[in-house]
Amino acid sequence: MDAFSFWVAGVMVYVAVAVLVLGLAWRLYQWRRLAASPMRLGIFPKPRGGAKALRIVADTLVFPQAAEVNAPLWLAVFLFHLALLGVFVGHLRLLGRFPEFLEVKMSESAHLAGGTMGIVLVVTLFYFLIRRFKSPSKELSVPEDYLLLILLLGVVVMGDHLRLFAEIPFSAYRQYVASLLALRPEFGPEIAASPYKTALVVHVLLANLLFIYLPFSKLVHFIGAFLTNGIRRS
Amino acid sequence: MKGELKEWQEKLLGVMKGRRNRQLLYYLELCTRCGLCKDACHIYRATGRVEFVPSHRAEILRRLYRRYFSPLGRLIPSLYEARELDERALEDLYEAAYTCTGCRRCMVYCPFGIDITWLLGVEKAMLVAAGKVPEELAMLTDAAIEKGNSIDLYRDLLQEQIKGLEPELRERTGMPGASIPIGRKGARVLYVALAGAHSILPAAIIFNLAGEDWTLSMFESSNYGYFLGDTEKAARVAERIVSEAKALGVEEVVITECGHAYRVMKHLDEVWSKQKFPFRVSSIFEPFARYLKEGRIKVDPDRIAERVTYHDPCQLGRNGGIFEEPRAIIRAIARDFREMNPNREKNWCCGGGGGLVAQPDLEEFRAVTGRLKAEQIAATGAKIVATPCENCRLQLDLLNQRYHLGIQVSAVTDLLVQAAVVEKGQKKAAALG
Repeated sequence: MDAFSFWVAGVMVYVAVAVLVLGLAWRLYQWRRLAASPMRLGIFPKPRGGAKALRIVADTLVFPQAAEVNAPLWLAVFLFHLALLGVFVGHLRLLGRFPEFLEVKMSESAHLAGGTMGIVLVVTLFYFLIRRFKSPSKELSVPEDYLLLILLLGVVVMGDHLRLFAEIPFSAYRQYVASLLALRPEFGPEIAASPYKTALVVHVLLANLLFIYLPFSKLVHFIGAFLTNGIRRS
Repeated sequence: MKGELKEWQEKLLGVMKGRRNRQLLYYLELCTRCGLCKDACHIYRATGRVEFVPSHRAEILRRLYRRYFSPLGRLIPSLYEARELDERALEDLYEAAYTCTGCRRCMVYCPFGIDITWLLGVEKAMLVAAGKVPEELAMLTDAAIEKGNSIDLYRDLLQEQIKGLEPELRERTGMPGASIPIGRKGARVLYVALAGAHSILPAAIIFNLAGEDWTLSMFESSNYGYFLGDTEKAARVAERIVSEAKALGVEEVVITECGHAYRVMKHLDEVWSKQKFPFRVSSIFEPFARYLKEGRIKVDPDRIAERVTYHDPCQLGRNGGIFEEPRAIIRAIARDFREMNPNREKNWCCGGGGGLVAQPDLEEFRAVTGRLKAEQIAATGAKIVATPCENCRLQLDLLNQRYHLGIQVSAVTDLLVQAAVVEKGQKKAAALG
């Protein structure tokens, strides 16, 4: 590994993951240490028991009401998050082998599914970015909103670049992640010799930056949405 | 940085800090400024003005919070366009907080269920501390508190006025013993009306026909302290009724047809005043629907022939939980009932809530922002719009004129009285009258 790769795709990854985990824990602590409101803020009608739990999950994962008032935005947001979940699961394969049946299936469909999801991410992110240059989203937006979208776009574009063009075998990526887990970060010969090595390092660099900023940004809504949606139905 | 703050800034930031709890932090920190709430807001939809986007109203508080309280916001203020608490910010807070009807329709549609009004509540509390509040709301609140302090001065006059209503009550119920008792100890129900005979006589007719064991409150149920956003004063206004109910030992406090008054008594005041009521709080529709079901009052189902629609007041419906009882009453008395679309928790706000109706200089604003409501009513083809909220009724009357809707706006109880069957020479004894 060259020095730049070692620092960015090695040392910095540990820092980023540590900041992500500790940052999220700190953020949760900041919320939970404050007293809950004594006022019940939910709207009526209020579902109870199982129906309530189901409603909270549906509100958070599907947010069907939003589709009623702004269908195009709802569709983009829904597809974006679906694709995000997809690529997240896809990246989990880097950590180890899935059960054999799944491993085979995923391996077969990785190029098509991963490529599709990668494209969905780029398209929806562009849409999110462009709409922020138009009133009233423009006046509503603050630099954080643009920064996060650009950061996400960077990660996704570099990821797509690797997914669609780089001829690096999956086993080589897996080997790299294994070396990270073993605390001896190393690129195997396929990556080291590939012209796409820089693309990979940039992809990892941008992902690191995203991980570091995430716990302190509005992206914590991936946890918080369950909590606030719980309040709405209580 | 603290040292540079002026005394008034310290005070207002102290208010903000004092209001900090878990929910507030979620609402401040989770909003992604996606702007979906704009599509759910009747004010934005009617005006297209950015400052009326619900999340934009809250964004002012959010940017102050970033500037003074959040670590990253203090470090890199430009990341959040964090802003100083200055005169200009106060102007913006005022504009944001006191032009919202508090309908909470945006909360229904927000993917995170963020309660914008909770954030506006903090904005209002800061403005109250700064003494920058709508004059009308402040005056009405203080007058209500003053009445509570010196009720002995009012008692005789009030009783005399109420006595004056009884001849008509007797005639319309056909019950020689019908009465409107005030402050009667041991009654089962304490009915809290609005100021004015229109809110007392129709309810008294139904209570008498149903043989209810009731008494009338000396206080009006409306609470301008709530609209003002001064929870301390709002609690004092509500306390007048709570003390009266305790002194009389009633089982049930029945709130008249009024959205915010029901919500204040049912859902808010126990928290504000840190107490548990020894009585039940109901909306007037709960006993009335019960009387119908139990056959204690009889109605003519054909009496109202024109098409009727029902407007869910935001504070009674999505914020209060009363949806079905008024509908049950209307269905029993009107042959042609048509729902608005959407309805119940998704109903459009009429544009009159939040104390806006009490501010004369907002009339033009209300006429413009009621457009979606007017279209919604027109689409039902109804001739009568029944709605149980005085603010809604005043606003709908305005919309009726401005949009030439040709409707009659009515309280539900008025329709019920119209349809109630009074047997000639009804022998039923009035409630312990």
